[in-house]
Amino acid sequence: MSESLWIEKYRPKTLDEMINQEEVVARLKDFVKEKSLPHLLFAGPPGTGKTTAALCLARELYGEYWRDNILELNASDERGIDVIRRRIKDYARTMPVGEVPFKLIILDEADNMTSDAQQALRRTMELYSRSTRFCLIANYVSKIIEPIQSRCAIFRFQPIPKEAVLERLKFIAENENVKITEDGLDAIWEESQGDLRKAINILQAASALNEVVTEDAVYKVLGKITPSEVREMVDLALQGNFLKAREKLRVLLYSYGLSGLDVLKSIYREIMSPRVLSQLPSHMQAQLIELIGETNFRIVEGGDDEIQLCALLAKIALKAKGG
Amino acid sequence: MSVPWVEKYRPTRIQDVAGNDEAKKAFVAWLNKWLAGKPGKKAALLYGPPGTGKTSLVHAAAKQYDLELLEANASDVRNSKALERRIWRALTERSLFGKRAKMILLDEVDGINPREDVGGLAMILKFIENTRYPLVLTANDPWDPKLRSLRDKCLLIRFKSLGIRVITSVLAGICKKEGILCDYQVLRAIAEKCKGDLRAAINDLQAIAFGRRKITLEDLDMLGYRAKQADMFEIVRTVLAAKNPEHARSVLSLPSLDYEMLMQWLSENIPYQYSPSLRAIADAYDALSLADIFLQRAKRTNEWSLLSYALNLMTVGVASARDKPKFHFVKYSFPQKIRLLSQTKKYREARKRIATVIARKCHISTRTAIRDVLPFLFLIYKVNAKLGMKILKSLEISPKTFETAIGRIN
Repeated sequence: MSESLWIEKYRPKTLDEMINQEEVVARLKDFVKEKSLPHLLFAGPPGTGKTTAALCLARELYGEYWRDNILELNASDERGIDVIRRRIKDYARTMPVGEVPFKLIILDEADNMTSDAQQALRRTMELYSRSTRFCLIANYVSKIIEPIQSRCAIFRFQPIPKEAVLERLKFIAENENVKITEDGLDAIWEESQGDLRKAINILQAASALNEVVTEDAVYKVLGKITPSEVREMVDLALQGNFLKAREKLRVLLYSYGLSGLDVLKSIYREIMSPRVLSQLPSHMQAQLIELIGETNFRIVEGGDDEIQLCALLAKIALKAKGG
Repeated sequence: MSVPWVEKYRPTRIQDVAGNDEAKKAFVAWLNKWLAGKPGKKAALLYGPPGTGKTSLVHAAAKQYDLELLEANASDVRNSKALERRIWRALTERSLFGKRAKMILLDEVDGINPREDVGGLAMILKFIENTRYPLVLTANDPWDPKLRSLRDKCLLIRFKSLGIRVITSVLAGICKKEGILCDYQVLRAIAEKCKGDLRAAINDLQAIAFGRRKITLEDLDMLGYRAKQADMFEIVRTVLAAKNPEHARSVLSLPSLDYEMLMQWLSENIPYQYSPSLRAIADAYDALSLADIFLQRAKRTNEWSLLSYALNLMTVGVASARDKPKFHFVKYSFPQKIRLLSQTKKYREARKRIATVIARKCHISTRTAIRDVLPFLFLIYKVNAKLGMKILKSLEISPKTFETAIGRIN
């Protein structure tokens, strides 16, 4: 077998192979048996099997024709609700293949849509409800508007517990002839928590780097995949050196091509790390969290990530220098 | 400045007119029929965006076919009886200079206002009916309803915006003849900025090259669109050094203020002007960040009354920063963001391409792919190229694209 990304290679193909999420799986199997389906809303943190469940469901529902009967859309990648509606319309126009009387539209990252766009989506769902079922996937149920929630059967995906994650990692390691130590497993868990996608990515990279995946190997990988500029930028801002901090920010935005929100999240992670937090006077801790939260809000509302993040860095610099 | 290069380097042969091969072919065919005495339509309407070679083609054809060329701007014709008579004579009489034939060019027929002047179009229609020589009209937008009757009488020949490569190669030719050293990137940048308008590109090149033997990308930043930039320096200074709110907002009354550009210039230069006061920098940025939010809301909701808040925040708001240091002269710089975005474009595009493939194969968004998968893939490729290649192959990603994407970071 040729080498590939393990997150794909080890993606479960059937509902039975799914890890954890027993309740969800049991109910989905009932739908398969009945060959009938309500609209679905899968909600839960990243890497807990939402998309996998949707794909497995499609496979079992449609058998060999599954590819012909699903349309996969990712709300973050489609340009606006109009494009999404057009694609749904074009797709819903043709009859399903096989004996199931409807087709399945999987709309991933649906909570990235504005509420206006979701309203439009709701009408589209109604328009094509005879020939299609929707499976919406989101991190947070609360970011989906009520009228859509009320039209869907909601499935909540829990973070995958430690034992299940470790078991899966061991299974993969064995299959790939990779040696992994207990502290290596623990380190991966520490970093990924219940996010299996992240855990598997770390395992694959660590095993490419080292003979044996140890705690050291895991942290070496993590050190290398997080741009050093994040830490440098935060440190520079805390030293009051705004201009240098801005240079680092620009590397992250333009050379790495990271989104403003992703940069903000990594700033947040860095500031909340024991290394930085322990150096901050206690009154500043809450202030910085508030600043970061406020910036998150402003990035979502605003149009220029660089200006928003520069404003944050300038305020951090000012606070750190006692202003 | 000496002779304008657009005139100096106007092509003298049809094949030297840049781009638009189909249009050239259609025009030559039409002209040949005319000269053979069997015109199909008696007039040709060349249409397309400015600077795409409409007039140049007519000039080159006149030279090459040895035709006497009479040219006039359509809207001048209707204002001047004398000009009208001259054209009428030219259309209906034999050539004066013993050349074998004539060609008449009426520029910018879409500039005629039919409501003010119904006669203008009727006059042109009369020209077309009676002409004994090829009559060429040009227009930017021929689909204006008022030109319908004209369209029916003319052979329509479409000119498209010129490609960046075409423009760049014309600019390179001019540089060579003028003995100017100029690298490809600079020419490309000029070409990109001009959006398919060769005339604008040549004018810009001449302005930038004035008094120089060598042009670099930096010159382009400093000199490109010199007039605008000089204004921008002043505007930024007015805002950042404002002594009172009225002073700061005075820039808003400028007729052609590009407020989005102003935001970029302010963002770039706030720290230079307000250092070392961190409070001033933070306050000014806070106002700019709010301006950005209002601007975005105005755009999103089409509620343009919100624009006023954005404009006042970026001027009065920025200038109201506390603890501003005493004004000192600093040299402002061009917004690095704009330069960086163009410099890193190729890497980001390669990344995006790869991320799109991964997103499709792994059922995730491209953003998630860039954030959660690419870094691991880069790392694997770096430490174990052979393994990395295999994974790339399974994803059907070309190693070349991958190398481009990885390039900038390592």
